Amino acid sequence: MQRHSRREFLAHSAVAAGAFAFGVQPGSQLQAAENSGSGDMAVARWQGTGTPDEKQFKELSVKLTERAIDALGGMKRFVGRGAVVWIKPNIAFERKPEFAATTNPDVVATLVRLCFDAGAKTVRIGDNPVHDARRTYPASGIPEAVEKFGAEVVYLDRARTREMKVDGERLKMHPVFPEMIECDLMINVPIVKHHGLARATMCMKNYMGVVENRRLFHQDIATCVADITRFMKPKICVLDATRVLLRNGPTGGKIEDVEVQMQVAAGTDPVALDSWGAERLGMKPNEIGTITKGQEFGLGKMDYRSLALREVAVV
Amino acid sequence: MSGASRMPRGPRLRGAVQAASLILFLWLLFTARQKPGADLPSFSGLFFWIDPLILVATFLAAHAVPVLLLSAIATILVTLVAGRVFCGWICPFGALHSAIGWVCDRIWPKSRKREHWSGWQRAKYYVLAGFIAMALLGGHWVTIFDPIVLLYRSTTAAVLPGLQWTVEESSTALFQWDLKLGPLKPSAVTEPCRKFLREHLFAVDGQAFIGSELILVVFVGLLAANAFRRRWWCRYACPTGALLGLLSIRPLLRRALVESKCTKCDLCSANCQGNAADGDGSGWRPSECFVCLNCASACRRNSLAFGWKWPWHREPVVTAIGLSRRAMIISAVGGVCTLWFFRSSPLASSKRLGYQARGLVFEPSLIRPPGARAEREFIQRCTACGVCIKVCPTGGLQPCVLEAGLEGLWTPRLVPQLGHCAYDCNLCGQVCPTQAITPLKLEEKKKFKLGLAAFDTTHCIPHAYGRDCMVCEECCPVPEKAIYFIETRIVTRTGEQRTVKLPHVDADLCIGCGVCENVCPLRGNPGIRVTNANESRNPANQPILTER
Repeated sequence: MQRHSRREFLAHSAVAAGAFAFGVQPGSQLQAAENSGSGDMAVARWQGTGTPDEKQFKELSVKLTERAIDALGGMKRFVGRGAVVWIKPNIAFERKPEFAATTNPDVVATLVRLCFDAGAKTVRIGDNPVHDARRTYPASGIPEAVEKFGAEVVYLDRARTREMKVDGERLKMHPVFPEMIECDLMINVPIVKHHGLARATMCMKNYMGVVENRRLFHQDIATCVADITRFMKPKICVLDATRVLLRNGPTGGKIEDVEVQMQVAAGTDPVALDSWGAERLGMKPNEIGTITKGQEFGLGKMDYRSLALREVAVV
Repeated sequence: MSGASRMPRGPRLRGAVQAASLILFLWLLFTARQKPGADLPSFSGLFFWIDPLILVATFLAAHAVPVLLLSAIATILVTLVAGRVFCGWICPFGALHSAIGWVCDRIWPKSRKREHWSGWQRAKYYVLAGFIAMALLGGHWVTIFDPIVLLYRSTTAAVLPGLQWTVEESSTALFQWDLKLGPLKPSAVTEPCRKFLREHLFAVDGQAFIGSELILVVFVGLLAANAFRRRWWCRYACPTGALLGLLSIRPLLRRALVESKCTKCDLCSANCQGNAADGDGSGWRPSECFVCLNCASACRRNSLAFGWKWPWHREPVVTAIGLSRRAMIISAVGGVCTLWFFRSSPLASSKRLGYQARGLVFEPSLIRPPGARAEREFIQRCTACGVCIKVCPTGGLQPCVLEAGLEGLWTPRLVPQLGHCAYDCNLCGQVCPTQAITPLKLEEKKKFKLGLAAFDTTHCIPHAYGRDCMVCEECCPVPEKAIYFIETRIVTRTGEQRTVKLPHVDADLCIGCGVCENVCPLRGNPGIRVTNANESRNPANQPILTER
């Protein structure tokens, strides 16, 4: 039995009490959380009803992220001492976080903290947005949230990409941002969104922010995204479904298109996570080209339930 | 009034004020950039507000007086009292000329000719007369030669982008070269410098402006003229200087010459910045004097001093510039003819319903910034100062070359391929010193139509080549999406049936921000283009009936 800190003990007790209060069987789910060994995928879900208010939303986002990573075996499983970590949220568009076009800043900030707690030397945050980064970054609220924990916000320079051997089915050589490759670990932390063309944008599609010259990808988005995902060799992805964008994605802009779902998933398999995310949008995973292509490429399993799935309840 | 004083330290004080003024000007220019979570300094338009030429021209041409421009009345009063102090002490362009003249004096001390008043200095008054006649008929063109405007535009559109290009390219080259000089690594120094400049000086990566070559040539030419005649621009050409010269024909601050002490050594004239007097120190023309105080400080025998006099005092005498009525009339006629010439162009603005091109033709690429007034009103206010193109966060606002006719030279337009109109931004309207671009609230701005996007189905990828694309739809910022797609069955070359998502534009929703054109994979000749059709500012250019 591993030792628990007081904070962890309190958190776990709270979860147990809450789950009990809401009539959840304190058996299977919690057991999985307690035994936090090495799961391939973990989902943390808020058990409350209704919509949390702003303050509660922030607290829950933090807690959900912590619990999902815990259930996956903790950040130490991925981050070595002195590691340089790149966290790659989706900051593609100039929208405020409540429009669910960009990753929840509290989820990102929590990951930063967990990385530093696990012994990371440097944590960098950055994306290659569609709009100008000087507008998308501040609008997303992410720089403000992560700089508190000492992360370095990087404004990538499009003049400084490097042609790299992607060696995919479509993409052979492609301009990639070297900073994102030259790190010990990349944590991919996208948000679950509808997408006009690809139907949904989640973990795999978020890797498009690692490359330049991607406008032509859209003509065969599934293969291009799968090529880049294979090139990136995902080690850990965290999928933010605290808010999801159900329609008019990936840009959004209407609050009615946003649904607060209060769930965070983490895992090592981007295809499985994307399948889980597709269901959050009310879609079937096999309807989504990137997911079927990802499975075909051997990047993961579409049937995420067949993995060692750990579900954690949060109150 | 009080007696005359020699002010031996006058020139030094003046130099300090000039330097401070130039630094303040540049600071306001550098800070005129998007900064998340922080507004621009509230006085960012200060130098435009105190410029009397902009006030006069806007009042005459547009019959409008933007409130903040009334600050220029202070300059007018100061000029009536003390002469062209604005030129000698405040004007940042004048300060730059002073500085360059000072450097020229150090480089070629022997070539420092003893220049005296020249009749050619009257040229600026005649040019101003032409411009004023033009302004009376609604032509606002004079302001593009205003010194504040000239300096702002040249720095913004030519000097800064050149500096930025140099910094970006050279630092990237050093960074990628990865050079090591023994223990030294140049990129260890250049990278932090580049990062600092990128965060604090340059607004947009790789920013560049169309036609900046011409702007640079004019600017460098005017600065280089100092080698030929010190402060050439201020003495011979500046229309603001001419206006202030007319106001200071008989100021209260006058220069007195004590003839008994004077040896006619000519030191005063040799040091004069404005060539305000004849060779022997007599014939002082207050209209040409910048009150730089060089003469009083240079005189070895204390025979010169500035002092206060009431207007009815005859002594000390002042010399008139001696403008000829005939030349004034010829200039005025010339100004009117120039305006007719401008307005007879097919690209010129027209008053009728805001039609362009004498009411018939539209230049489709003339997409004005959000909140811009109808074309005629716009052109009657726009000074082509370039503050809007400076603050535009995407670098999409560009100076016109001839898209709006010669009358619209260097006025702003959106070039979507270089940068779109950012949905959550209304900076251009906030900074416009003459409100040629009206300040819109963000909610109003999001509804203001700059134009309309249209697919060119002859080469738009889904339309012409049957492949899904939709980058434009993805980036459309209108929440309901002004670009939508219809799944259409098409037949390929081999006879195979395929479903393609064909994109279309919703004319009711499209605001013409141009992000679709900006992100289209077809560079150079995008498959979707924005024209100024449907622009909110021009009822005559709204050909499509709304359905909602």
